[in-house]
Amino acid sequence: MTTLDVLPLGSSARVTAVGGEPGVRRRLLEMGLVPGTTITALRRAPLGDPLELSVRGYLLSLRIEQAKLVSVE
Amino acid sequence: MPHFLPQTLSVPVRTIALAGNPNAGKTSLFNALTGLRQKVANYAGVTVDKKTGPARTPAGPITVIDLPGTYSLEPVSPDERVAAEVLRGQRTDTPAPDVIIAVIDASNLARNLLLFTQLADLHRPLIVALTMPDVATSLGRPVDPAALARDLGVPVVPVVSYRGQGVSELLSAIDRAGIPAQPWSSVAQTPVAADTADAADPVLADIAGRYQWIDRVVEHCVQPGGVSSASVTDRVDAVLMHPVFGLGIFAAIMTGLFLTIFIVADPLMSGCENAVAWLGALATSGLSEGLFKDLIERGVFGGVGSVVVFAPQIALLFILLGLLEDSGYLARAAFLMDRLLSRVGLHGKSFIPLLSSFACAIPGIMSARSIQSPRDRLATILVAPFMSCSARLPVYLLLVGTFFGHWSQWGRGGLMLGLYVLGIAAAAAIAWLFSRTRAAGPSAPFILELPRYQWPKPGNVGLQAWQYTRAFLVRAGTIIFALSILLWAAATFPRPTEAETAARTAAFEQAWTPPAPQPAAAEPAAGKAEPPPSPETIKATALEQHLAGEALAHSAAGRFGHLVEPLIAPLGFDWKMGVGLVGAFAAREVFVATMGIVYRVGDSEDDTAPLSDAMTQDRRPDGSPTWTPLVALSMLVWFVLAMQCISTTAVVRRETGGWTWPLIQLVSMNLIAYAACLVIYQGGRALGF
Repeated sequence: MTTLDVLPLGSSARVTAVGGEPGVRRRLLEMGLVPGTTITALRRAPLGDPLELSVRGYLLSLRIEQAKLVSVE
Repeated sequence: MPHFLPQTLSVPVRTIALAGNPNAGKTSLFNALTGLRQKVANYAGVTVDKKTGPARTPAGPITVIDLPGTYSLEPVSPDERVAAEVLRGQRTDTPAPDVIIAVIDASNLARNLLLFTQLADLHRPLIVALTMPDVATSLGRPVDPAALARDLGVPVVPVVSYRGQGVSELLSAIDRAGIPAQPWSSVAQTPVAADTADAADPVLADIAGRYQWIDRVVEHCVQPGGVSSASVTDRVDAVLMHPVFGLGIFAAIMTGLFLTIFIVADPLMSGCENAVAWLGALATSGLSEGLFKDLIERGVFGGVGSVVVFAPQIALLFILLGLLEDSGYLARAAFLMDRLLSRVGLHGKSFIPLLSSFACAIPGIMSARSIQSPRDRLATILVAPFMSCSARLPVYLLLVGTFFGHWSQWGRGGLMLGLYVLGIAAAAAIAWLFSRTRAAGPSAPFILELPRYQWPKPGNVGLQAWQYTRAFLVRAGTIIFALSILLWAAATFPRPTEAETAARTAAFEQAWTPPAPQPAAAEPAAGKAEPPPSPETIKATALEQHLAGEALAHSAAGRFGHLVEPLIAPLGFDWKMGVGLVGAFAAREVFVATMGIVYRVGDSEDDTAPLSDAMTQDRRPDGSPTWTPLVALSMLVWFVLAMQCISTTAVVRRETGGWTWPLIQLVSMNLIAYAACLVIYQGGRALGF
């Protein structure tokens, strides 16, 4: 059990929970990060932040700040 | 038998709205439906574009509304809010659409269907335009439209907009739009997974329920196998987002973009200006010399010129931005630069507006529309004018060349670079401070889709560039035009009386000493060179320049220079520079021409050598030089930091929807510039410079 921001690059995990302020949390869920969804960490931007992720067949970018809100296993 | 087929709508359809995720191909479809007959206006009270256009169904003409792209009907930005309000019929300026077209990307079905479920909740007639079916097929994951129509409970029409495929089918299907059942609502009420969702978390239960239903639809309608759009795009990103190659390619693309709007736009801009000036001369050729001719030629045509001069830069920037956006790279540029910009409270998407502002803040500020979060967008708009634009360059060159000419090439280059860096540093500091104020609002999260790469569609790109340019000319242009005429009037009135002019001419005649004749031997190629002007011509030119200078000093602008002299004296500036600063409000480079008139050497912007001489030789009443390197430095810093461009202020007013922010920007930038120049001049004096 960990959060998305420390998921090793290239590996996949399942979303277990999404936290954060209600508006942000809702948007993360709506973007497809509902519990049970498989998510893959692809890479970090060259300057270290944000992250590029693959979820539900499309690519999504989150700042580390938002990635911390997503618990994965 | 699908239950929607026998249905036809009982009321005639007048308005349809396109709703869909960003990057779902909504605008392409809108262009295909309406062609070039689009109208772009503003939704009342917000700076969100309202795009409408006519189309024709078998039943008659209809109006199509292209709503801003949205991921959800629970909005997080002003443009998403407008989309949700129009769809719910909550806006007074837009009727609720009779039929909603859900634009669903076949190559990204799951996430696109979430919005579909929310649209279905509105209980309004709905129809699905399934975009990019060809892309889904080429990825080996074709979508079965008939199966999808059965699952969704509404007609599904595959469309390939840029080829015009499916567009007429879509228009014919509008009458069959249905109100779908909501099978996900029963899913949403059952607990998703006991350990993660509970009854106390209705938001999670709702969204997770929708996705459970969506997963079943996708499984049912999409042929398994193939590759996901993400995995193909990921392979391209492995190169384009690479720590070394990625940044190299980024630097190359951004250099190309900057050089295009900085260098390629230049001849086009001069061309526009010259064309307007030529038209002005043509229009006034029949008029006799005098005030009216001057008003038409310099006021009206000069004002028009000062508006259209921006058009090439705006058009070029938006063509390039359209290419980057359509190809999918624009989101990557934000991804690459976000770390750098988020440190000072900006957004990855602030990069291109700020870069463009080095050419001109006007297209830069307009391009900040791509930033969705109002706070990040406002911060970007507020600091964009700190970037040294191309209009400052002639001023930098004049002052650095005149007063630091004795420095080495490296020294002068370093000074120029320092001016640019000072602007960037000021922007960073102000953005950082702004992000910490309450006015900025809450910090927006960075949740950015990185869309699939694709070839840009020239039609979409060209149309968007045209719409932006047109919007600038019509909406900001009118304010710029009015203010230009006002500035012309300030530099013209009150005019010296005939008697005053006669007295000045007489005084000039008396003081006139012809310049020493040029030694003939100085020009070996005398045969080819132009013959030297006759003493009469030299005298007539000098008289004309002398009278122009006197008239300017006499005008409101000239008096304003005297009026503000006590205020600007602590910065090292005298009243003549005050007049130059007034002129700079029309456009910063006008400072050079205005100083030329003030120093009675003519308003040539091409040959500034006489102006340099006049500035170096000018003396204050106490006999000390007016311009010292310290004064010049103070003036340079003023030009870096001060907000003195009415055109930018007009555009900020338009882009922020009111006078509040442009006025705050105008006052605070000038106060910052004042403080900085005060410290430099007084500090420099104290140190003995």
